[in-house]
Amino acid sequence: MNLSLSPLPLIVGLALAGAIFYLVRRNHLHGPYAAGWLALAAVIIVVSIWPRSIDWASQLVGIYYPPILVSMLAIAALLLKSLVGDLERSQQERSLRRLSQKLAILENELERLKRGEALPPASHDDPD
Amino acid sequence: MHPSDCLIVIPAFNEAATVAKVVAGAREATGSPVLVVSDASEDDTVAQAEAAGARVLALPIRLGAWCAIQAGLRYARRHGYRQVVTIDADGQHPVSALVDLCAALADSDVVIGTCPQRLSVAKRIAWAYFRLLTGLRVVDVTSGLRAYGEPALELLVQREASLLDYQDIGVLLLLAAQDMRIDELPVAMSEREVGKSRVFSSWLSVTRYMIHTTVLCLAQVGRSAPPAETEMTST
Repeated sequence: MNLSLSPLPLIVGLALAGAIFYLVRRNHLHGPYAAGWLALAAVIIVVSIWPRSIDWASQLVGIYYPPILVSMLAIAALLLKSLVGDLERSQQERSLRRLSQKLAILENELERLKRGEALPPASHDDPD
Repeated sequence: MHPSDCLIVIPAFNEAATVAKVVAGAREATGSPVLVVSDASEDDTVAQAEAAGARVLALPIRLGAWCAIQAGLRYARRHGYRQVVTIDADGQHPVSALVDLCAALADSDVVIGTCPQRLSVAKRIAWAYFRLLTGLRVVDVTSGLRAYGEPALELLVQREASLLDYQDIGVLLLLAAQDMRIDELPVAMSEREVGKSRVFSSWLSVTRYMIHTTVLCLAQVGRSAPPAETEMTST
């Protein structure tokens, strides 16, 4: 029995890595996200070349049914990814709200300037 | 304080039917400039408000009631106003209360215009629950009739306040954490113009609101005020 190489995961890992590089190259994927996806591809490639690594890692952390380690790690990674996504979305929401407010304020000032009104000098720095 | 130091801020989402009357009433009652913040209204709220003599901020996307008000607060600070009074655009608040609220700011950082007879049993229970949870001693936590003094303005224009959704407990907690003095002023409200509440419009939205606000309250437990000076100079 050949335990040294499993071709399917290897293909998946290489395809994922290729796809990520392609997306970055085409400017569809923001750099920092690419690093995480490439790390995942690297793990898949390592595991496909050396399947025993899962048994070894399971023993290391005291799990006696190695496949469950893979599932657990996958679920944990998804949860983490989803939480980080929500955090980033919250920050984006905050920025979007503040930009919209600022846009409305500047639009008001621009209209008034166009009408020839004098504006008071900005009395406080408006935090972005 | 001179009327021109105070800005009246009216958040409005599709309030074309009533906004002009509120603007005219507020201008007449106070002599202060009036700013209507249209929360991406789809009707002619903006035109009505401008025709009635208000300045208008038109938000490009819908941000919710609090962030519309915050846009007004940012405008006020940028333009050197020292007080802001907020009032709903649906005409449920009497404009005669605006001057009293401004005057009450002499002793407080925030004054809330409370309309006790407006509160239904459900609301009374809900507010009692939130008082218990937060330790705030405020009767009507969602009243849209509020006056903010200079220290409160300086705090509320910050980024920290931009993820809040309603002008209610979240805002009050932020103020209380900085030891701001919050007072209430009973205000008589005209019966015929009692408007519909955005929060209390359906059981689903009530439930969502209660859960949302409970989480907000619980997350604040044990959060002490940072030294006032470092926080205040971070603008």
